[in-house]
Amino acid sequence: MNFSLTEEQRLIQATAREFAQTHVAPIAAEIDRNHRFPEELIPKLAELNLLGVPYPEEWGGAGADNLAYVLVIEELAKVCGTTSVIVSAHTSLGTWPIYKFGTEEQKKKYVPKLASGEWLGAFALTEPSAGTDAAAGQTTAVLDGDEWVLNGSKIFITNGGYANVYIVMAMTDPSQGTKGISAFIVEKDAPGLSIGEKERKMGIRGSSTTPLYFNDCRIPKENLLGDLGKGFKIAMQTLDGGRIGIAAQALGIAQGALDASIKFAKERVQFGKPIATKQAIQWMLADMETRIQAARLLVYRAAWNESNGLPYTVEAATAKLFAAETASYVTNRAVQIHGGYGYTENYPVERAMRDAKITEIYEGTSEVQRMVISGNLLR
Amino acid sequence: MPFPAKGVTERMKVIACYKWVLDEADLKVDAKSRALLTDRAKYKISEYDRNAIECGVQLVEQVGGEVIALTAGTSNAKNSIKDALSRGPAQAVLVKDELMGQADSAVTAKVLAGAIRKIGAYDIIVCGEGSSDEYSQQVGIRLGQLLEIPVISFVNKVEMKNNVLRAERKLENGIEVVEVNLPAIITVLPDINEARIPSLKQILAASKKPVQELTVADCGLSNADLEPKVHRLSVLGAVMERKQVRIEGDVSEMVQQVANIIKKEVSC
Repeated sequence: MNFSLTEEQRLIQATAREFAQTHVAPIAAEIDRNHRFPEELIPKLAELNLLGVPYPEEWGGAGADNLAYVLVIEELAKVCGTTSVIVSAHTSLGTWPIYKFGTEEQKKKYVPKLASGEWLGAFALTEPSAGTDAAAGQTTAVLDGDEWVLNGSKIFITNGGYANVYIVMAMTDPSQGTKGISAFIVEKDAPGLSIGEKERKMGIRGSSTTPLYFNDCRIPKENLLGDLGKGFKIAMQTLDGGRIGIAAQALGIAQGALDASIKFAKERVQFGKPIATKQAIQWMLADMETRIQAARLLVYRAAWNESNGLPYTVEAATAKLFAAETASYVTNRAVQIHGGYGYTENYPVERAMRDAKITEIYEGTSEVQRMVISGNLLR
Repeated sequence: MPFPAKGVTERMKVIACYKWVLDEADLKVDAKSRALLTDRAKYKISEYDRNAIECGVQLVEQVGGEVIALTAGTSNAKNSIKDALSRGPAQAVLVKDELMGQADSAVTAKVLAGAIRKIGAYDIIVCGEGSSDEYSQQVGIRLGQLLEIPVISFVNKVEMKNNVLRAERKLENGIEVVEVNLPAIITVLPDINEARIPSLKQILAASKKPVQELTVADCGLSNADLEPKVHRLSVLGAVMERKQVRIEGDVSEMVQQVANIIKKEVSC
C-alpha cells in the first residue's frame, strides 16, 4: 500500500490551496451573506485549469487524475462550500456525462469548452415530486421531426442560470419506467427553456440553485446523450462520480472547521488559560481529527479506484456517507468550541455548519448512500 | 563605472537561484527545550526566491529567452525541481551533495558560482534578497564577487532596455534607480512582483522539462570547499514573555495608565 500523494498531486494541492487562500477566502463570507454567485472566480479558476481537473489536455482539461480533482475540491471547501460545489457540479455532473457518453461530435462541441472552463455545466435530474425517487420524473421529451420537444420542470439545479449547458433527464417512454428515461444536452439559450428564481438556502448560499422550466423547449435531435432509454443509467453513473466530489467537499468543510477550532482554542483565554489546555476541548479536537482522517482515507480511496478503472459505486457511497456525517459532526463541535462567538457570522464555523448540512442531502441523501452500501452487501 | 557586456547571450538567458527550505508554518517549538520540531514539517521554495523566479520569467516574457532554475542542496532538494519548473523556467539545474546540509552563505555562493560557470554564458542572475530560513542576505552579493560581475540588491522593480538592465532599489531613505550592463546579478525584494500560482497544466508539464544534476566535482569544487566557516551551534525557538498587565478603572484612568506604561517601556 502507498498512502503518499505523488509530487504532482502535492503541487496541485498547493496550487488549489494558494488559490483558495488568495482568491476565495477573502470573499467567502460576503458571497454567503449576500447569496451572491461568485462570477468573478470562474475565469480565475479556468486560468489555473481548476474547472477541468480530471479531463485530458486534448479535451481542454488539466490532464490530472481523480485524486487530484478531489484534492482541489477539498482545498476549496476548506474556505468556501459554495465555490467547491460550483466546481464539483460543473466537473462531475455537467461535464462528465458528455465526456463519458457523448458521441465524438458532442464531445468535440462541448467538452473542450466545459473542461477549459470557458463554459459552465449543470445537471438536471431532480423534480418537485421526484427527489430520491428520481425515476418518478414527469418531464417529457418527444421527437418532432429533427427536434426533441421538452416539457416539464426541474428543481434545485446547481449552477442554474450560470451554466451554458444542462444535462437534462426526461421521460421519452413513460410505459418503460426507468428504461423510458433519456438524457439530453440542453444549451442555456434553447427556445422554451427558462430559469426560475434562485432558492434562498440555509448554506452554500453563493451557489446558484434554481428551477428550470421547459415549455415546448426545442433542442436538436442530435442532442440526445447516450442511447435512447439509457438516461437513468447515465444519471446514476454520473452521480457515482459526483458523490466523490461532494464527499471531498464535506471533507474540506470539516477540515476548515477543525483548523479554525484549533486556532481559536489556542487563542481564546478563559480562567486565565487558553481553552486548548482544557481536556473537554482537547477531546473534542481529537474526535474531530479522528473522523476527518477516516473520512479522508475513504474519499481518496474512492477517487483512486475511479482513476484506476476499478469499481467505485460503493466506495463513493461509503465515502460520501461518512464524510458528510463527519462534516456535520465536526462543524457542530467547531461551533461548540467557539462558544457564543461560533454562533455569530464573525467566525467561519457558523457558515461551515450551515454548509455541511447539504452534503448529507444532495447527490443522494445519506439514506440513499446506506441503500447503495447495504444493497451491495446483501445482493 | 560601466561593466563590460561579457557573456551576453543571443537569446536572453536568466538564471534564477532558489533555496529549498523548511516551511516555517509547519515548525513547532518544544515548550521545554525550545528545540524546533521539524519531523512533520514540509519543504518549500523560499518565499523571496519565488519572486526571483517570477522576476526571471517576467523578464523573458518581456524580451524573449529562457530561465534556468538553479539550486544547490542535499538530495532532498530534488523534491523542489517540479515545483520550480512549474513556475515557468524552461530547465533546472541541481547541485546535489549531502554536505550542503551544513552550508553557510559562503559555501552556497561558491557552489552556485561553480554551477553557473558550468552552465556557461548568461545575462542575468536573479536571487531572492534573503532566504526564508536564515535570511543572511549574503549569497547574491558573494556570488557577484566570485563571478566578478555587478550586483544590484534590494531590487523592487526591473526592466530591460536595449540590453541594459534598469532597476529600482528600495532603500531605507528612498528609491535609487540604477542601470547596469549585462551580465549582472539582481537580488529582489518580495514587492517586485506577485509570484504567480502555477496552473495544473504547468505542474504536469514540469516533469517533461530537462533537469541537469551536477555534483560538487562537476562544479570544480572539492569536499574541502564545502567546509563552512560558520558553524551553527543551536537553533532555538524565540520565547516572547507576556507581561499580562491588567488595566482597570474608568477610561481616562486607563488611558493614563497605558501612557505611563509606554513611557516606562520606552525609557528602558
